[in-house]
Amino acid sequence: MKDIAYFKKLAHQIMFDLSDEEAQDIAKEFDTLQKQLSLLEAIDTTNVEEMIYPFEMPTTFLREDVIENVCSQQDALKNAKDSAEGHFVVPKVVK
Amino acid sequence: MFKEYNLENVEAKVNEALKKAHKSHELYNDVVTFIDPRAQLANMPKTGKMLGVPIALKDNVCTKGIRTTACSNILNDYEPIYDATIVKKLAAAGAISICKTNMDELAMGGTNLTSNIGACLNPWDTSRMSGGSSGGSAVIVASGAVDFAIGSDTGDSVRKPASYCGVVGVKPTYGRISRYGIIPYSSSLDHVGYFTRTIEDAAVALEVLAGRDDLDMTSSDRPVEAYSQQLNSELKGKKIAVFKNVYDGLTNPDTKALFAKLIANLTAKGAIVEEVSFDEKLLKAILPAYYLIANCEATANHSNLDGIRFGVRKPGKDVEEIMINSRTAGFGSLIRKRFVIGSYGLFVENQEKLFRQAQRVRRLIVEEVKRCLDEYDCLLAPASNDIAPKLNDHGRDELSDEYLIIENHMIIGNFTGYPSMTVPMGMINGCPIGVNLTCKAFAEQTMFDIGAGIEEITGLKDLKKEAA
Amino acid sequence: MEYDVVIGIEIHCELKTTTKMFSSAPCVFGAKANTCVNEVDLGHPGTMPCVNKEAVKKAIQICTALHLEIDPLVKFDRKNYYYSDLPKGFQITQQFHPIGKNGYIMINVDGEKKKIRINRIHMEEDTAKQFHLNDITLIDYNRAGTPLVEIVSEPDMQNGKEAAAYVEALRQTLYYLGVSDVKMEEGSMRCDVNVSLKPKGSDVYGTKNEIKNLNSIANVQKAIDYEVSRQKALLDKGEQIEQATRRYDEALKETVLMRKKEGNVDYKFFPEPNIFPIMLDSEWIKSIQAALPELPEVRKERYAKEYGLNDYDISVLIANKELADTYEKVMKTAKNAKMACNWMIGDVSAWINKNGGSFQNINCEYLGQLINMVDAKEISNSQAKDIVLPEVMNDQDPKAIVEAKGLKQVSDSSTILAIVKEVLAEQTQSVEDYKNGKDRALKFMVGQVMKKSKGQANPQMVNQLLLEELAKLINN
Repeated sequence: MKDIAYFKKLAHQIMFDLSDEEAQDIAKEFDTLQKQLSLLEAIDTTNVEEMIYPFEMPTTFLREDVIENVCSQQDALKNAKDSAEGHFVVPKVVK
Repeated sequence: MFKEYNLENVEAKVNEALKKAHKSHELYNDVVTFIDPRAQLANMPKTGKMLGVPIALKDNVCTKGIRTTACSNILNDYEPIYDATIVKKLAAAGAISICKTNMDELAMGGTNLTSNIGACLNPWDTSRMSGGSSGGSAVIVASGAVDFAIGSDTGDSVRKPASYCGVVGVKPTYGRISRYGIIPYSSSLDHVGYFTRTIEDAAVALEVLAGRDDLDMTSSDRPVEAYSQQLNSELKGKKIAVFKNVYDGLTNPDTKALFAKLIANLTAKGAIVEEVSFDEKLLKAILPAYYLIANCEATANHSNLDGIRFGVRKPGKDVEEIMINSRTAGFGSLIRKRFVIGSYGLFVENQEKLFRQAQRVRRLIVEEVKRCLDEYDCLLAPASNDIAPKLNDHGRDELSDEYLIIENHMIIGNFTGYPSMTVPMGMINGCPIGVNLTCKAFAEQTMFDIGAGIEEITGLKDLKKEAA
Repeated sequence: MEYDVVIGIEIHCELKTTTKMFSSAPCVFGAKANTCVNEVDLGHPGTMPCVNKEAVKKAIQICTALHLEIDPLVKFDRKNYYYSDLPKGFQITQQFHPIGKNGYIMINVDGEKKKIRINRIHMEEDTAKQFHLNDITLIDYNRAGTPLVEIVSEPDMQNGKEAAAYVEALRQTLYYLGVSDVKMEEGSMRCDVNVSLKPKGSDVYGTKNEIKNLNSIANVQKAIDYEVSRQKALLDKGEQIEQATRRYDEALKETVLMRKKEGNVDYKFFPEPNIFPIMLDSEWIKSIQAALPELPEVRKERYAKEYGLNDYDISVLIANKELADTYEKVMKTAKNAKMACNWMIGDVSAWINKNGGSFQNINCEYLGQLINMVDAKEISNSQAKDIVLPEVMNDQDPKAIVEAKGLKQVSDSSTILAIVKEVLAEQTQSVEDYKNGKDRALKFMVGQVMKKSKGQANPQMVNQLLLEELAKLINN
């Protein structure tokens, strides 16, 4: 059984917080999920390849190296909450 | 019907549609953002297959300069800097977009209850849900405000609300319509779909929407057929497989009766109708397999929503804190939970037995369905066990056979990528319920043909629930 | 204690394409911030990747030049992590199916040839560029999405010198292929080095340290040499090596700790669902391979065979592709390969260094003609160097210059002999002095002949004829 702290930590890795309640919910739902997943595990998939795409005929198309779509600096920054001198601005990133 | 629109009446029709849309927005909460149509009217082409047709777009369709939120707080103020390919295609065909419609947050739901602007109500009974995730689009077509609306379908997000709202809901073959510019859910399952009230309009619409788009490498370069011109409702000799597991599992006698009546009518019209069963174990694994594939892909697909370049940005002392605060405030509780599951399924130590196992099960299911459709023209089943659930209905047992199979069988259309469509089947207690048909890859013509035959049988062509 | 040093190198190299790896926005170095982007590069919702054909072509060229097996079925994967310079929250790369596997490159260290194996080459996309100011960071997405190849070596190098030779050999090869600018200082070629030590003869690898972002080949060598001695000192004291990422501090001339590795980061790799596998046309691959530009190694052999140059001259020419290319063009006109080589390496390079300009702009036919004039002793070396070369470098016809300035060297013996006789008749005193053993008198008379010929007489011939005539006078 995974606990609240586990899910909170997991959430942090993908950049958000969970409240205690939310983490508790997940822990509970995880139980149902595990049961559903057991339905998945019950299926014998020996020698079965993953199906990653609905259609598996390889394609051949490659894009020609020609400029077709550039947006203006104004458009690039249009949705930015903080910008300066044509750049997106964030608090200093410490490498 | 698209035929009613032309260059002469376009302004009047668009204004009428807007008026109705405002009304349905008031009644059903089906609209997120209204679009000022003047620029489109000024620039519209002189000819086109959808000339002057007012339409609605699901709010996950990117529209340049027009707010597009996918009903998520994180995109609350987002104005795309480009148009989705289908937006350009619709404009080139003469259609006029009048609004963006309500949906489940980031299309991750089947109820339309998870939208950041609240639930979308069913026009046939406002105490019931519209279904989702493309609830707003289903409702605005059902209410008669517009004759066409774009939706997207990852699980059954077009076909389920179509059933609940009594309209035609089409999900063509994977790759038939470009996904470029559609805010994704799960890339290997996402399809652009749409709603109409007649099969004929559905056939015309696909002629407009389909076709290769080099911006979407998964789009198909197969030629687009003249679906509407070739439309033929003749059912004689059509081989129809009845999805026996679903039929047997129906617990609602009214639904069962409606479906049985439909089968009898199909047979009477000369269709060859036979029952086909699938491995029950595989069918029960559809939902968990879907849940994993969809959430694993979704958590990666939405990693771009970090508050740095667009979308809501919450303050923080460093970039990590900004991302965490923005994403915490930006995503609803349910979405974050799903991302957690998705991320869990992708971990190196879990991926083999979760994500990849789901992908392998997907293959087994697809092979099973393919074997069936090698022999039949279509696979037929009720779209759900019952009419739209009540808004406050949370009593579903998510481990019951009914839920696992009856309410999720349409996911097969997403696993296989095969064309699948819901058509109104009948009414129960004044509310509609649909029938779903799934055909071979790229056999949209067959799907429309059989759909037209069903439409003639049910007489539910152009079904709508206009506000009093 | 004695140790074996194990060094492996990962090189990221930007491909010189017109557009990005997955979008049709331009790749331009040094453009105004955020003006070479579109919605794809900014990771906007709903965008999808579309693979650049030219980038694939260049990757194939690199794989071919480095003898890798090419996988004709191109697949991409997602590498998931969050960082301010990563627009999508994942990088599209080729984790599971790199385009090339199992190749090698030959290096030359102190005259010894050594084969360095290359494990894999894969295609991926670059991140945005960040500028760190006092309390904020500015982000420019122009670089985001630029095509990259990552070249991963086997741990086949044993010291800084070999590592530097490997990086230089790769740099040269990629440059000759024309696939990249390979400028380490501008970041179009980036080098991460893994260094570990193990007891001599042991087959258990030691704990490695990664040195990131080395910005010159010289620093590759210095950083490794330092790191090896650092690890050695620790091991000798019986201490453990901690796995870590380090950087090279040029001022301190030391590798400095950046961060300790806390287990492996899980990038949750999975296949990119938006790019179906792409089957490359085998004819296309063959045509790319058949038209592969000449590689430095091949060119070295050709220069030895075709021009008879020595190893030193060849390596100087090859090290600078523009110089070598120009040399070849000059050799279409010039007849003396060694002399032409000396001119190119010497005076021509010096002129370019001093005056700027580039080898590409040289009129090679004129330069070849000039070298031929010197070779045929039509003009003197100093005339050629001081007077004619600067004009040739400005695209002037050397013949016209020689003509106009009256520089033509007179090598016609009868003309010179006439002047010599004239001088001998006039300078009787000097002739007497010469007879009396005063050598200076000869020099004086040569000068007189040169003066009368307005400097055009071939000095060697003047010398020779004067000696002959003087001998006749003495013997008479």
